[in-house]
Amino acid sequence: MCEANVYVNRGGQDELLMESVDRVVPGEDNNIFMENIFGERRVIKARIKEMELVHHRIILEEIPEATMNPHLELWLEPTTDHGHFHPGEEVRLKLHKGYNMRPDVKAEYMNLQAYVVTDGVPQKVELHDHHGAMEIVLDQEVEGLVQVYVHEQGNQDLYATAVVEVGHHHHHGVKPAGLPLEIFPSDYGHARLGENYEIKVLKEGQALGGAEIKATYSSTQNKDYPHRLTTDAEGRARLFLTARGNYLFSVTNDKIITTFTLIKSF
Amino acid sequence: MCKNMPPLELAIQFHGHICPGLLMGIRVAEFAQKQLGVTQDQDEELLAVVETNSCGVDAIQAILSCTFGKGNLIFKDYGKNVYTIASREKNRAVRIAQKFKDKPDADSLRYRQLNHKANLTDAEISEKESLLGVIFERIMSKPFDDLFNWQEIAFDFPEKAVIHPTIQCAICGEGVMEPRAIKTEQGYICPGCV
Repeated sequence: MCEANVYVNRGGQDELLMESVDRVVPGEDNNIFMENIFGERRVIKARIKEMELVHHRIILEEIPEATMNPHLELWLEPTTDHGHFHPGEEVRLKLHKGYNMRPDVKAEYMNLQAYVVTDGVPQKVELHDHHGAMEIVLDQEVEGLVQVYVHEQGNQDLYATAVVEVGHHHHHGVKPAGLPLEIFPSDYGHARLGENYEIKVLKEGQALGGAEIKATYSSTQNKDYPHRLTTDAEGRARLFLTARGNYLFSVTNDKIITTFTLIKSF
Repeated sequence: MCKNMPPLELAIQFHGHICPGLLMGIRVAEFAQKQLGVTQDQDEELLAVVETNSCGVDAIQAILSCTFGKGNLIFKDYGKNVYTIASREKNRAVRIAQKFKDKPDADSLRYRQLNHKANLTDAEISEKESLLGVIFERIMSKPFDDLFNWQEIAFDFPEKAVIHPTIQCAICGEGVMEPRAIKTEQGYICPGCV
């Protein structure tokens, strides 16, 4: 077989997807990568239905997103649209449960506990039910970089973490909160669009290499996480930020799912 | 706004979305600032001559504040991605021309296909978003000289924009800038009533 034409079967009809394909690579999460002799490339969530080698035809069947059955995770989002709060202002964080920054309105919460970490010491804070949504409201005295995390104990341990900036110009570092599984900014600073941002994954305080981190952003139209990163031997991974608004990083290991909300200034 | 918005964000907010053309304009504006040692225009210290009316021009307006309304954005309808940025105070100007590529790369080609297609499937929406991310990183990370040719040029600065008196159109009754009004037997009329 030389090149083949790739078709996708939609409603019983084979629609031409790409001509003269010379490379087809099935990847993770049902992704199929293909490239043709003209250098065009495509990725599609599908499975190979049939390969007619004599006729140079490859037929794919798309996999609906709904059948991917994503796990639910927790994440925090600040109630500010410009990435930080001001001293004396009410610092409010919303807790969500869902996937890929899309809340699942039917999701239920159980055994939730929320903490603020100051100098490595966690201090319990209340979670409030605000018109059916869970929220954390911090004291108006807080200032600087404030670490917040929420833990839900269940079949899977879910953690949601965030570093909230109250006031301006806080470039000093923050320490990990000491969670069993944690995503942590390597060097806390203002995250900017068009620049790389580095995070680190820690398991029981130790760098976790080879871990898959999923990354998404609030404006994504993707139903699944648009980015997948893998940590290096020192637990680090970098992402070039290409979207406005907040980002969410998620890692899963040993029945623990931890997210970290990167709160961007704009 | 309690923090200065970075240039990239300024341009995106002004233009309304992120696209490859806008990103190229951002590279031009930031390069011109660095090369000429200038920041954002206040009152026509800077002047931009743009030879296109495509997305990149919005980055020039947002970042350099050379704007259509202020009169320090001069549009020449040549259909070329060429920008001349000049500083009155420094008496310097730089002409920046996007390098010609006879064939766009595969990612850009595919992005354009998807951008012009109506009713994208979920997979195509995902693909388009991912392609934009790849193109974004490439444009912002590439050495400037890989994307553009540039040179400092001698520049003949025009006078600053003049504010002309407004007169009333004899037909519609609306005000019109005097030099744009046309003298007729009925009196001065605006171009819209000719």
